[in-house]
Amino acid sequence: MLSIKVLGSGCANCKKVEQITQAAVQEMGFQAEIVKVTDYSEIMDYPILATPGLVVNEQVVCAGRVPTKPEVTTWLANAALQES
Amino acid sequence: MEPLLNTILSLIEAGWLSLLDYLAAHVLLCLVPAFIIAGYISAMIPKEVITRYLGPRASRWVSYPAAAFGGFILAVCSCTVLPLFAGIWKRGAGLGAAITFLFVGPAVNILAIAYTGAAIGMDVAIARIVLSISFGILIGLIMAYIFRDQEALRAAEMEDSGIFDHGARLQPAVWIVFLLLMAVLIVGTLQVGFLTATWINLSLPVELPQGLASALDRASLNPQGALLILLIVLIAPVAYLGLENVLEKFNRWTYLVVIMVGATILFAAPVVETGSLVFGITGRFFGELILLALIGVIVARYFERDQLASWLWETWKFVKQIFPLLVLGVFLAGVVKMLIPGTLIQSLTGQNTILANLVAVLFGVFMYFPTLVEVPIARMFLDLGMSRGPLLAYLIADPALSLQSILVTGRILGRQKTWAYVSLVTVFSVLAGYLFGIFLTIV
Repeated sequence: MLSIKVLGSGCANCKKVEQITQAAVQEMGFQAEIVKVTDYSEIMDYPILATPGLVVNEQVVCAGRVPTKPEVTTWLANAALQES
Repeated sequence: MEPLLNTILSLIEAGWLSLLDYLAAHVLLCLVPAFIIAGYISAMIPKEVITRYLGPRASRWVSYPAAAFGGFILAVCSCTVLPLFAGIWKRGAGLGAAITFLFVGPAVNILAIAYTGAAIGMDVAIARIVLSISFGILIGLIMAYIFRDQEALRAAEMEDSGIFDHGARLQPAVWIVFLLLMAVLIVGTLQVGFLTATWINLSLPVELPQGLASALDRASLNPQGALLILLIVLIAPVAYLGLENVLEKFNRWTYLVVIMVGATILFAAPVVETGSLVFGITGRFFGELILLALIGVIVARYFERDQLASWLWETWKFVKQIFPLLVLGVFLAGVVKMLIPGTLIQSLTGQNTILANLVAVLFGVFMYFPTLVEVPIARMFLDLGMSRGPLLAYLIADPALSLQSILVTGRILGRQKTWAYVSLVTVFSVLAGYLFGIFLTIV
């Protein structure tokens, strides 16, 4: 199971990232847990400079922008490959 | 009952009139492009363009100016400021540069500057940029000096995580479109002869029905203003349909909203006298027409669909986030203007004194206004008789300091550093307003 975290204080872009990720997960039929991290001190534990951030299995894959769905799909597939 | 009702009605009318004033052509010519530019910067210019100058190995001569100018590119959205601030402090260029960024960031973004210029005056807008940047660097340097011992200890245990090392390469087309967009903004607001001069007078071949004409007169609107407001109202639902899901797919509303926004910019450019149907086609109109056409060609030729989608999305995001609050703020500023006696504002802040500047700054600290709303509030104070020095002091202090931002900064920096920062910002904002006021009396 993939662990996915969306880092962000709740602005429009963070919601968009969550939406896109959710859609990508569903499309691929993966088992995944998506957590929203909104606490600043927790966000700052990850090496990112700007929100929104996307973390897959504790690896930051994207920060400071909204990724496209194909990008997210690639990251998820890579993470799933590493797991198995 | 009757007098109370009349008072309420006149208050609503005051709010409504100030709203109409803010949706007038000259404000739209700056606000619409400013939102588009803010979205463009956010979507197309990667943050790495600036952050690579803010790393732990950057020289002080580079990191402080980069932090000061970085606000222009990085801080259009206030929700990105705090993580960046914490990042620069904990893993990057250190306390001083981070403080500079925190102070300058909210003040020098494109929306705030363009709006200040259109609603209050270019003198205040330019002073806001110059004094924010120079005093921001100064405050950063002082903070770094005060806490140099603690910082030295911290630097020793800091690990170099390398997140500041990424560079970014941009296609030339991205810079060219950026410059063209800036030109749209400048051509829309600059007061020079060949832009403001009327070249052709176009008289509409229709006559307004008597009832409509007198209704417009009563609201002190001309047909151009009325049509612009109608356009804005129509754009709202079309934008929602076309842009809410633009990252997934473009639909016909998407194309429609782009055309409507272009039309708004063009339509705001001519001059129309109140009560007439003669459109004076100005140099501004031709300038905007050429610029928009150029942008259209370059975007169609060099930009990919994904880039375009994220540009549209970021712009829409800012509009959604800021515009409703701005409209509300403008309306309320109009109402409150009726309630506050001008003599009070004049006696407190009508003269450019240290005390008047301090009053303005303290007001900014204790009142929290959402992004950009500080501008109509400042305009209200100006109309009520505030002197321009205290006005600038207020405009510098308000975005940088609010009870809310003091609390959040306190959580990141700790109490001692936060109070030092708050005191420094207060002192320097007062100083900035005071010096600006004196400067205005000299020239």
